[in-house]
Amino acid sequence: MPRSDAMDGAVRAPVFARIAGEWRNGNRAGLARLLLGALAVLAAATFASSIMTGAADASLANVFRWLIGEADQTLSARDRIIILDIRLPRAVLGMLVGAALAVSGAVMQGLFRNPLADPGLVGVSSGASLGAVLLIVLGSTVLGPVFALFGFYAVPAGAFLGGLATTLLLYRVATRGGQTSVATMLLAGIALGALAGAVTGVLVFIADDRELRDLTFWGLGSLAGANWTKIAAAGPIIFLALAVLPFLARGLNAVTLGEAAAFHMGIPVQRLKNIAIFSVAGATGASVAVSGGIGFVGIVVPHLLRLVIGPDHRYLLPASALLGGTMLIFADMLARTIVSPAELPIGIITAFVGAPFFLWVLLRGRSNMGL
Amino acid sequence: MISVSDISVRLSGRQVLHGLSFDAIPGALTAIVGPNGSGKTTTLKAVSGEISPSAGRVTINGRDLASLKPWELALKRGVLPQSTVISFPFTVREIVRLGLSAGVDATSHDRIAGQALEAVDLAGFSGRFYHELSGGEQQRVQLARVLCQIAAPVVDGEPRYLLLDEPVSSLDIRHQLTIMGLARQFCAGGGGVIAVMHDLNLTAMFADEIVMMKAGRIRARGAPKDVLTDATMEAVFGCRMRVNVAPAGGVPFVLPQSAAM
Repeated sequence: MPRSDAMDGAVRAPVFARIAGEWRNGNRAGLARLLLGALAVLAAATFASSIMTGAADASLANVFRWLIGEADQTLSARDRIIILDIRLPRAVLGMLVGAALAVSGAVMQGLFRNPLADPGLVGVSSGASLGAVLLIVLGSTVLGPVFALFGFYAVPAGAFLGGLATTLLLYRVATRGGQTSVATMLLAGIALGALAGAVTGVLVFIADDRELRDLTFWGLGSLAGANWTKIAAAGPIIFLALAVLPFLARGLNAVTLGEAAAFHMGIPVQRLKNIAIFSVAGATGASVAVSGGIGFVGIVVPHLLRLVIGPDHRYLLPASALLGGTMLIFADMLARTIVSPAELPIGIITAFVGAPFFLWVLLRGRSNMGL
Repeated sequence: MISVSDISVRLSGRQVLHGLSFDAIPGALTAIVGPNGSGKTTTLKAVSGEISPSAGRVTINGRDLASLKPWELALKRGVLPQSTVISFPFTVREIVRLGLSAGVDATSHDRIAGQALEAVDLAGFSGRFYHELSGGEQQRVQLARVLCQIAAPVVDGEPRYLLLDEPVSSLDIRHQLTIMGLARQFCAGGGGVIAVMHDLNLTAMFADEIVMMKAGRIRARGAPKDVLTDATMEAVFGCRMRVNVAPAGGVPFVLPQSAAM
């Protein structure tokens, strides 16, 4: 077929037919852009319905009228508190944490060249937890100066350092000569997670009543404690960590061919790894600090997206952020409403969905993951 | 010109290369041959910049490799690895386009990627999944990716290079000839090629210069007819066999049937 005909056809054809044609030709970029748009709409819708859903009956329409300043509508003080100080920060935090966890998963999987890498599974979250618990328990005594210095950033900073130390250690243990062994990575992750758990256990043992309440509340993995202070503490870290990642997308794509091949293609591999590891540790650490250990988001979300749009990180990373946030807010809505007016920890919901999913991925890909 | 001067390489404490020197000139196909474990791949890695030699230096068009940033190197040479396993479901199109650098407008991207796939005889494969292809097809996809990175043999008067690690090891005979022909064509265009080779007959057919290695040292160097002799075959490969010369063109060939082990 002459080229001009093909071009005309492409212009005339409806957008979906064109995208389907590109897809058959191995080009999933059009589909990815379409999906990004759809995910943005879905995220906004989920966000809004999360603000409207809850044990109390507070209407979003009223809030909206109040926000745009319709004078005849006065928002009751109760509605205002429920929506602006309880549900809104919770939805914002859910979006932030979901995005952070999903993107961290996608980046770790790209970096380790392994679809099973996930901050929760390989002990990064445990390391971050240890860092956070260390500051919660010892913050009033030995580590008092840290609090004096960092204020409410102290716990997220502790979680960041814990997550960073674990990630670096994991990379050292599991990677030899630029090749990462899946088995070593998962097993080392279990060992590091257990070690961090043991130390955390000791700290819980010596904690006093008030600290213990803080710890229990936080350790279950929940968005229930969401407030604007937590968002102010974790938000900037997560935002910074996620903001650098689009610049790594091309490098992460190249690294899927191996570190040597990425270097041959002109990628400064060592710098890429350093930035990626710091970002993952920052995003995971900050998430763990404000919401505890919420598992499996980082493995489910990128995997689902890869099935549809493929592994190109230029689309995978933003799509993971949107779908991760959406899924976590949705899980939180379930957590709040299933046993209403009581609440389930959100970690239970993500584990119920994520653990079977993980097994499915494992069985499906066992042959080509070198297990 | 790629110039390797007196390089030594140590890998985990063991010296693998001992003072290697050779030049690969633009317009010529330089083949590195030798028995398994003789240091061919290590040599290629030192030339690509992937490992740095403990002594000696490598220059590419007069610039010391150590002084070049990864992206500068990527503009001067492309590297085809022996085999590449990928754990994510990339399509052929996506893999090939990884070789394209940013900054060139998208229309010429499509053209370059299409030409590269055609050159390795994989036109029409762009929608297939990489991990579902055979080993030989995967190797050709990787070569197409390298050809995207180094599309033209000469840019702004400066020759570029292809470093190929066993480019035909898992190919059928037709594609062996296609790929070696492609390398020759690249040389004819003014670029340089360094290829690690196992098949001595293909090497004799296509190489301008042979670097024959044994135990981390160069044992013979020169044109195929000078290097592929009964004496070097026995000294390097430990294989007493007759090297013959085909009547047309005087290209030497080796028949394994003639070996006396």
